[in-house]
Amino acid sequence: MAIAKAERLMNLALCLLGTRRPLSKRELRGSIEAYLEAGSDDSFNRMFERDKDDLRELGLVIETVENLDGDVGYLARRDSNRLPPVTLDAEEAAALGLAAKVWQQARLAGAASGALQKLRAAGLPEEVDPYEPHSALEPRIPVHEAAFEPLMLACRDRRPVVFEYRKANAARPEARHVEPWALECWRGHWYLAGWDRDRGAERLFRLSRITGKVRSRAGKFTAEVPDVVTVRETVASWAGEIADRSAKLRLRAGAGYPLRAKATSVRELGDGWDELEIPYGHGMDAWLVEFGPDVVVLEPAELRADVVDRLRAVATG
Amino acid sequence: MAANAIDQTRRMLSLVTYLRERPGARIADVARAFGISEDELISDLDVLPLCGTSFRGGDLLDIDTDGERIWWHNPAALSAEAAAPLRLAADEATALLVAARAVATLPGLREGDREALLRATAKLEAAAGETAGASDRLSVTFESEGGVFAEVDRAISERRRLWVRYYSPARDELTEREVDPIRLFALGHTYMEAWCYRSEARRTFRLDRVAEIRILDEPAAPPELELRDLSEALVQPSADDPEVVVEVGPGGRWVAEYYPHDSAEELPDGGLRITLRTPDPASLRRLALRLGPDGRITEPGDLAQSARRAAVEALAAYEAADGETHGAPHSAPHGEPHDEVHDAPGQGRGQGA
Repeated sequence: MAIAKAERLMNLALCLLGTRRPLSKRELRGSIEAYLEAGSDDSFNRMFERDKDDLRELGLVIETVENLDGDVGYLARRDSNRLPPVTLDAEEAAALGLAAKVWQQARLAGAASGALQKLRAAGLPEEVDPYEPHSALEPRIPVHEAAFEPLMLACRDRRPVVFEYRKANAARPEARHVEPWALECWRGHWYLAGWDRDRGAERLFRLSRITGKVRSRAGKFTAEVPDVVTVRETVASWAGEIADRSAKLRLRAGAGYPLRAKATSVRELGDGWDELEIPYGHGMDAWLVEFGPDVVVLEPAELRADVVDRLRAVATG
Repeated sequence: MAANAIDQTRRMLSLVTYLRERPGARIADVARAFGISEDELISDLDVLPLCGTSFRGGDLLDIDTDGERIWWHNPAALSAEAAAPLRLAADEATALLVAARAVATLPGLREGDREALLRATAKLEAAAGETAGASDRLSVTFESEGGVFAEVDRAISERRRLWVRYYSPARDELTEREVDPIRLFALGHTYMEAWCYRSEARRTFRLDRVAEIRILDEPAAPPELELRDLSEALVQPSADDPEVVVEVGPGGRWVAEYYPHDSAEELPDGGLRITLRTPDPASLRRLALRLGPDGRITEPGDLAQSARRAAVEALAAYEAADGETHGAPHSAPHGEPHDEVHDAPGQGRGQGA
């Protein structure tokens, strides 16, 4: 049976960490059983390159050193691989323990517990007084979008990408060339902010609208990355969260609790109806139509007309 | 799987550091400290004796266990320096820092917990150094969800029953219930899982739909329940539930993102035919109305009919009102948003009770 990959990686890591002088490929191959069994030089070389990349992903700083004879050697120096001293008390440890559990995405969940394990190995306190009251809340960060992981890596490494994207009302997806800046999760959905190369402007994308694979592009970013990338404010305004207008409606008594909760004033009309003043933003018309015959928009006229248009569409079905 | 090999390697590197300092460590304690099962730990302990600085000449780590404690017979096989705690990788720093910053924004978090988290975050940023740099490229915000959080949190810690007035969007009504809270979780929105005495069943309540709340004197006594698995979708339609078919145009594709469905078939116009299941099809009348020109429910027929009736009735009210005021001016139809993101329904789509 082939030797398990974890065993091979572990051996390479220990060899590189345990040496004081650079080890040549030949020496490493002679020290690690899995490499001896690799067969051809080609398959060993491929395996070795992949393994080095994997260890670097795990945070290992591996140096490539050339000696006077031109031979290449590898080592992981202690001073560049050591965790600086970090002292956390039991409360801080418990708080990080809660944080490490929130990811529902395999790669980040693995990375978060890996970080905690490294801290644990460095002496992070384990015992927490079980009688100390803590918030009962269990926060979770959902990641359902397939585009998340490749975009996360592209943001991290500042690599341009291309993907097929379907705009809200578009019949067909279209290719978008993007320099990805940042990802943000709001209300359980992920958004990407970045530079759209074709449009020559900053754009925001909703990850669930990306169809197909996210592919990396060679080369560097061409546009400057802003210091602060705002995602949430923009999305919130599109979701109608930013109320910049005010409407007057009639609402059937007892109905439409969420409208009442947002209203600035509620006046009983006495005939089984109430009159509400309510601040609103984008998308209000579609929401009001949900209440069917329990809502009548009085003002403004354009909102009223939008609601009537939507009702007509449903009535003629 | 490759991802598992990576996680296992990462874990074993930390284990080596940890075990070297703690001869005779107990399996149960180590598993707890590492947040893994005892079986996972045992499988790591099976691999470690095959690892070392060379497989020749007895340099392999001589680590074994009697089933209760872990013994390392040749700690000198690895120098103290080689076994020193390792720096955080970029992904590790990012995963922990982004999560910690997000949790610190939770509105209902106890102040002591928040302060501890902020202190820990600052220390972690310092320890991670420049590897923490990329962590600002990811961020997560949790919602505030009204002011009822503190009451639920207190009721859980004091094991008390709650009285709530809860809004159900499916029926557009408020109902009063007594519930025994079991847990609070945040997943996009903040939810309370509770035993509901009105429905004699476990229910999930979205906190922003709790209109009123009171902590009762009665102790909470929820039946023993297995907690729901938060990695699964909150809405879990059953195969016995009636089928609903929704046909949407390009502007209604968001339905497939918000509603768990059995299938979504592409239509020639760029729309979708979505088949989903719900225990209560009448609750989807709101969806039919919201879709307006962007789609319609085709099955079941009586649901489609009830949406049409509601729209006709609503229009009648406008016509009556227009008759009184001699007609309101009619404006151009609502323009399409020119942003890249769909105008997602502001109210969100969670599961109601």
